[in-house]
Parts: sequence; structure tokens; C-alpha cells
Amino acid sequence: MIQYILHRVLLMIPTVFGISILCFGIIQLPPGDFLTFYVAELSAQGESVPEAQIAQLERQYGLGRPWYVQYFLWMKNIITKGDFGRSFTWNKPVSDLIWDRIAFTMLITLLTVVFVWIVALFIGKYAATHQYSLGDYIATFFGFIGLAVPNFLLALLLLYYSLQLFGLSPAGLFSPEYQDAPWSVGKWIDLLAHLWIPIVILGTAGTAGAIRILRANLLDELHKPYVITARAKGVPERTLIWRYPVRVALNPFISTVGWTLPDLVSGSIIVSVVLNLPTTGPLLLGALLQQDMFLAGSFILLVSVLTVIGTLISDVLLAWLDPRIRFS
Amino acid sequence: MSNSNHNAGADILLDIRGLKTYFHLDEGTVRAVDGVDFTVPRGTTIGIVGESGCGKSVTAFSILQLVEKPGRIEEGSIVLNTGGQNRVDIAALDHDSEELRQIRGKDIGMIFQEPMTSLSMMYTVGFQMTEAIRLHMDVEKDEARDRAIEMLQAVGIPRPEQRFDAYPFELSGGMRQRVMIAMALSCDPMLLIADEPTTALDVTTQAQILELMQQLQEEFGMAIMLITHDLGVVAEMCSEVVVMYLGEVVEQADVDTIFHNPQHPYTQALLESIPRLGHSHEGRLNPILGSVPDPYHRPSGCPFHPRCTQIITGRCETVHPEISRLDPRHTVRCLLHEDPHG
Repeated sequence: MIQYILHRVLLMIPTVFGISILCFGIIQLPPGDFLTFYVAELSAQGESVPEAQIAQLERQYGLGRPWYVQYFLWMKNIITKGDFGRSFTWNKPVSDLIWDRIAFTMLITLLTVVFVWIVALFIGKYAATHQYSLGDYIATFFGFIGLAVPNFLLALLLLYYSLQLFGLSPAGLFSPEYQDAPWSVGKWIDLLAHLWIPIVILGTAGTAGAIRILRANLLDELHKPYVITARAKGVPERTLIWRYPVRVALNPFISTVGWTLPDLVSGSIIVSVVLNLPTTGPLLLGALLQQDMFLAGSFILLVSVLTVIGTLISDVLLAWLDPRIRFS
Repeated sequence: MSNSNHNAGADILLDIRGLKTYFHLDEGTVRAVDGVDFTVPRGTTIGIVGESGCGKSVTAFSILQLVEKPGRIEEGSIVLNTGGQNRVDIAALDHDSEELRQIRGKDIGMIFQEPMTSLSMMYTVGFQMTEAIRLHMDVEKDEARDRAIEMLQAVGIPRPEQRFDAYPFELSGGMRQRVMIAMALSCDPMLLIADEPTTALDVTTQAQILELMQQLQEEFGMAIMLITHDLGVVAEMCSEVVVMYLGEVVEQADVDTIFHNPQHPYTQALLESIPRLGHSHEGRLNPILGSVPDPYHRPSGCPFHPRCTQIITGRCETVHPEISRLDPRHTVRCLLHEDPHG
């Protein structure tokens, strides 16, 4: 088992390296760079930028050099100094901007995954063991609605109705009075009071999908001979279902963590913008629009690393759960 | 009912009467088991034979109420006599009641056709065995472990201590079936139901498993109910035989009578259809005419009449035969043997 994990961790290194090159390459792809954007912005306002200043900025950030030199400098600073470069738009080091956002994103993402799993596990199990019952049809109905309705629409509706009906704005993660306050018990409670909204909205589609997956898998397993064997031994029905078929049906569930994580991170951009969440999404969107390359590149790199880690976690979980994988 | 007293003196372990198990499907109702009566004497081996789809497996599954929806036991009783005056009608119990669960795995053990899929691949052999032991015996974890290893030894598994921690996918088909037998017998049941236990195994392993079952019967003294379509296996293993056709028992007798003096045309046809060494000079095998009818359209009268070579035209198509008793231990359901007193 330990050997297996070590092996997987070693394999991650070339993967992350490849991803970082790809990220950087893609960011460099559109013509122009931040300076072009900056100059265009200023001239739109009727100001002109002296050639000398442009040349000086270009030198300062190494913008005129070939992309691989820029990539090498960027990676060298990350690895040796933890310096992700500087955001042009914010005029701050990237690392000052991203860690808070990454932390909130991780928090929301993880809680969403847990929410999706727990809800889908119980509803999916019910729908499978009560196939074609009223409860199954209701779960299926809401499942398809959850899949079909775009998250941002759900967010908009929720914002609209909570304002209309209760005069509340559930946007953001904090109430205005706690926005810039230092951490306290009150601020935590305020956070929790706001947190469930994005979790429910972001989790809806995932939950709906996971219910369908679990239901289908469980239906396949419920009538397998090993279930009948367990029943013939005298195992109580409740224990039996959880212990035998659900355990097998969980496999695809776990292996989806790998792609659920990045999906939640990138898929939440629009929702985050709508709900005004301090996550990576809106900042990344802005950075991409303004060609703020170090900021955008750092985000994409970190999200990719998280995805690779998520895949690793799902593989380890899978091996822990299923002896057939562990032994092969 | 004509056979009501026939085993009054014998020590009956299981008494099945008028058992009907139907499957309610969208296309119609399949009467998989349609009025089955037979008894299992204590400590003996009884064979249930018949073609695919005759209801022999459904009968076996009904005994432990393992028939899944849309199947359902409609009528009948399955009385288990656990000794003295302790009689339980299994058919009347709730399918998830404590009482039924105490019978499953404790009084009646069961093994199945597919040893490759009958054990869960997610847990070790030891976990699955001790689970059964701890459900039915009041023992600690390590006592259950000792018991499981003892049983693995009894079914001839080499190095049982190591196998205890093995996963089923690490074992061969024959070994898995041995584990199933060890598990089914671990709580010392009075009856072992074996639903085609050797069908999925290769021939040499089949012989080993059958021999093992006989040897264990001598050792533990349980009755065995062997469901099979292999008459060779029946001849070797069983003392009594129940022949089924389309959900009904058509003939029941001791093994010698079935093989040497079969009375029902279906039993006769079954025996003629098996190849025998040394009889090749007689020429071709005699297969049974036609095939098992569509379960939704059971023939009227005697269900075997469309395939029967001894049909009494005009009667067999309309009259459903009653059970006739030819002698105390031989019953047949055929108009050729109509009970003159019935």
C-alpha cells in the first residue's frame, strides 16, 4: 500500500511539470501581453505612454524575452522563493492575492463534495432499494431538474427570491459588518450562515449526477449472488445492503472525486461572480481578461496541482476500499 | 390430500405442502412453483431433478424465502421440524424477521451454483465466515476465527490459517465452493440446500466437491437437498428423488425405484435421454420431444401432455392429474396411474 502511494506520488512530479508548461504556454498564446493591454487602456483614456517607460517595464518583467526563458524564471522563483510573480493589475505580489482565495475555494469545494456524497449516498440507496416507488420517481424528477438547471440560474433565482421575500442578500461569504473584521466566533457563525448557499447551489448538479450513478450501480449489484449468500446467512437486511452491494457501488463514486474537484473549481466561476464569493473564480476571470499573466498562470497552476492531488486521493481511497485494486 | 400420512412414522425434517411461488411480471404471471409437496427426512440426501425452468431452484429459494421480487410465495407451508415439537412454518414468517434470520444460516445452510460470484470480493474469506458464525453462535471474535479455520480444514482447504485472510478472488472456483460449503456448515445446520453446486465447476472438481459433501454428511449428519439436472449425480448422491416438471412434482420415490422402475412418462423420458457407457450399440439417444413450453402459456390438463409419448387422447389435454400413491414411498402425478380409490 505504502509502495503504491509512493509510486503514485512520484508519478505526480512529471504530470505537474507538464501541466505547468501547458498553463504557461496557453497564457502566452493570445497576441500581446499585459503591456499592450496597459498601453491600449491608457490611450483609450487619451493618455500616451512614453516609449522609454514601456521599454523599462518590458525589461523589468522580462516580457520581451522568449517564452521559455520567462517560464524558466517564473518556475525558478516559485520553487526557490515561493514567489509566483507580480500581478500587474493589482500591483501586488501574486502570493498576497491568491492564498486567501484558494483557501476559501478549497473550503467551499470540499464541503460541497462532502454534501454531494452524503446526500447522494442516502437518496441513491433509497432510490435503488425502492426502485419504481413514488420516492424513487421523486428523487429521479428532482435529480433531472438539478442536472438540467444551470447553477448560475439557480444562484440568480435564490438571490432574487431571498431579496424579494425576506429582504436579505445572501451574496458573499460574510455580512457587511464582518467583511473586514478580524476572525472571531461571531465571524465564523456568520460564515457558516452564508456558506450553505453556495454549497447547495454548487452541489445540486453534482448531487443529481451522483444519485443517478449510485442508483444505477446499486441496481446492478443488488441482485448479485453474493447478496443472496449474505441473506441466506441470516444477515439483517439493513446491514446487508450497506455492507455488501453499497460497498461495491461506491467505487465509481470515489473515482469521480478526481474530476469533481476541478469541475467544482472551474465550474464555480459564474456562480462565484453571481454570488460575489471571494473564491478563485472571479479573480481568475479578471486576470485572464486583462492578460495579467502571472496571476492567471499561478491560479491555473495551483488548481491543476489540486486536481492532481484530488486524483491521487481518489486513487488511494479506491485502493483502500477495493481489495481487487489493492492487490493488482 | 392423498399423501397426508405417508411419512407419519419417519423423522421428517422439512415438510413442504402445496407450495406455490409465482412471478408477477408485466407480461403475465409465471407460475414457477405451482403446488409442490414433498418431505425431507432427517439426515438423508434428497435430489430435486428436472429440466431448466422446471422450478427446482425457485423451490429451493422459497424454502429460505430468498425469492426476490417480482416473485412471491402465494400459498403453501414449509414446516421445519427442528427437533421434538419445535415446528416452524417458514412460509408464514416475515421476510426480514428475526425468526427467519435465525433459521437462515443456522438451521438451514445454502450453497449456490456460482462460486465465482457467491462470495463478496470486498471482504476476506475470514470476515464472511465469522460474520455468519457470530450471527448465530454466542462466541467471541477469536473463537469465531478458530471455528472458521476448523471448518476450512474440514472442507479440505490447505493451509486454512492463511486462507482465512485471503480474498475470494485469490482462490480457484473449486476452493471458493469449498469455502461456501464451510460457511454454510459453520453453524451446524440440520439441512444443507445445494443449488446446482457443481454446475459451474470442471469435471474433476465436481467429483471432489460431491465426495466432500458426502463425507461431511457422515461427519455432521445434516440432511442435503441437492438441486441438479444431472441424473448421474443423483444416482451417486441421493437416497430419494423428486422429479419436477413445470413447477409440479411429477414423481417422487427412492433412488432405485426412480432409476429402475420409473412410472411417470417424463421420468422415463429423462432417463432415456442420458447417454450411458456400454450402451452405445443401442444406437441414438432418445431426446424428449419438443421443448419446455412457454411459461406464460401452460398447457391445459397435464402440463406434460404435448410432449408425452403415452398420451391418452381426449383426457390428458383436459384433466389435470392428481397425485397417485403406488406404494408408501412412491408417488406419481399421471392419469396412467390414476388412483382407483381417489
